[in-house]
Amino acid sequence: MKQRALALIHGLRPGFRSGKRWLLLLLLAVVLAPPSARAAGIGDILTLFKTIASTIQGAIGGALSGIQTLNSTINNFRQQIIWPLAQINQARAFVASTRSQYGGLMFQIQAIRNNSATLTNPTQLESVFRNGQSGSIGQFQPLYTNVYGNVPSSNDARPVQRNMVDMDDALAQGSLKTTVLSDQTAEGMLALADSIEQQSATAAPGAAPMLATQAGISELESQAYLAKVLASELRQEAAKLAHQNSLLKQSAASTRNLQNQVQQVLTHP
Amino acid sequence: MKRRLLIRGWRFIRKGVALGLALVVVVLMLPSKARSQLGLDPCCAIISAGLSTISNLLNSVVAKPLGAIQQLEQQSANFEQQVVFPVTAINQARGMAGQFQGQFVQMRQIFQVPVASATLVTPQQLEQSLLSRNPGTVPQITNNYAALYGTVMPSTDAPQSVRDLVDMTDAEAQAAMKKAVEIDALADLELQAAEQINQQLQTAAPGSASILDAQTSAWLVRANAYTQSAMAELVRVRSIELANTGAQVKFSAAHTNTLYNSGGLLLQGAH
Repeated sequence: MKQRALALIHGLRPGFRSGKRWLLLLLLAVVLAPPSARAAGIGDILTLFKTIASTIQGAIGGALSGIQTLNSTINNFRQQIIWPLAQINQARAFVASTRSQYGGLMFQIQAIRNNSATLTNPTQLESVFRNGQSGSIGQFQPLYTNVYGNVPSSNDARPVQRNMVDMDDALAQGSLKTTVLSDQTAEGMLALADSIEQQSATAAPGAAPMLATQAGISELESQAYLAKVLASELRQEAAKLAHQNSLLKQSAASTRNLQNQVQQVLTHP
Repeated sequence: MKRRLLIRGWRFIRKGVALGLALVVVVLMLPSKARSQLGLDPCCAIISAGLSTISNLLNSVVAKPLGAIQQLEQQSANFEQQVVFPVTAINQARGMAGQFQGQFVQMRQIFQVPVASATLVTPQQLEQSLLSRNPGTVPQITNNYAALYGTVMPSTDAPQSVRDLVDMTDAEAQAAMKKAVEIDALADLELQAAEQINQQLQTAAPGSASILDAQTSAWLVRANAYTQSAMAELVRVRSIELANTGAQVKFSAAHTNTLYNSGGLLLQGAH
């Protein structure tokens, strides 16, 4: 066995020798190879640098330049088209100018006193229902009675007539009182409108929607009070119609009574 | 002996050559570091030039536009914060909403001052229903109305045409009174809604104010519609009143005709 192995080794010796030669050649090739490999690496690095440079210049630089242009355009659009400071100031000045142009005039018209009664009792009543002070409503009943009188006594009129007169008086007074409340509320609304306009004269575009909303809310309140006044008018008109109708009913009843009485007279002469 | 010596010598030389080759390989495997430390390799110059170019490009192509963009953004932010949405103006608007809330409450209280004025029992009952601002009292109006203004006369007391007219008039008068109660109640609800929206406005932002504005507009449309329905009722009342006036003229004409015919008959009988 040992001999066989030795024989095999001896047999391989020439191969080893030629293998060493190959190994030497390979090593020389490796030694000679680096310069070309290095040359290829520098080329790659150069290519890489070129790629990086072109990416920075092209893709990144182009995109950044685009963003810059876009930002500049948006900024200009905002400052020159949507919210130009000159226009904002012009609008503010316009509000202030309109206020000074119309405010005083409208206040003067609104302040004109329309009281026209000449005699004592009507003058007193008129002054109460035109003063726009809800606190004076308590004085209303006696002043109204001074001018229009009381409900007739039960000796002077039938219950149906007394009731109707009382109802007419009640609704007339109720409506007059409502006008007092309405006038006071209208004054309040005018003050609110004035505040909103005043605020608008110095408002920023961003705060303007809030003021617009405020004006809308005030308008809703105003509509509600208008509806209340309208309801009062409806009551009054309905009572007027009911009154006329009731007179017709009474007339029919009176005619029937008259007929009955005539028949009685004719049957018992 | 010689051969052994030769073999040993050859082995020694072979090992020496192998070691030398291994050293060469190791040296070759660490070429760059060794060379770059000395700063003599042309590769370093190329890398340095490349990096320098990239640095310059980053400065000119990236950093400059970025700086300009930052400046633009800052300018835009300043413009929005100082001109378009200044916090002081926004807070002022909110403060005004707070002031208005008090005014709204005050006005609502003014309109709650009682205006009832009837002195007799029957009118008081009807008036109470009419001024209640409560739709629940609407059914009571029919009875209260009949107690005060009476019902349609019996067929023995008036011709059918007159009874129809009276019934129609009563119907419209009652409907108008009922509508007045409903309108009062609706107006109260509108006032409540207005106060609630105003409360919301006190904490709103400019961006959310538009939503509240839209809601207010919707309520305004609704309020206008209710006012319109009240106006229609008023028109009906006045139309019935006008129709009654016309009917009176028609009845008078018919009565005159009847009287004329009766008179003619009487005169013919006398002859």
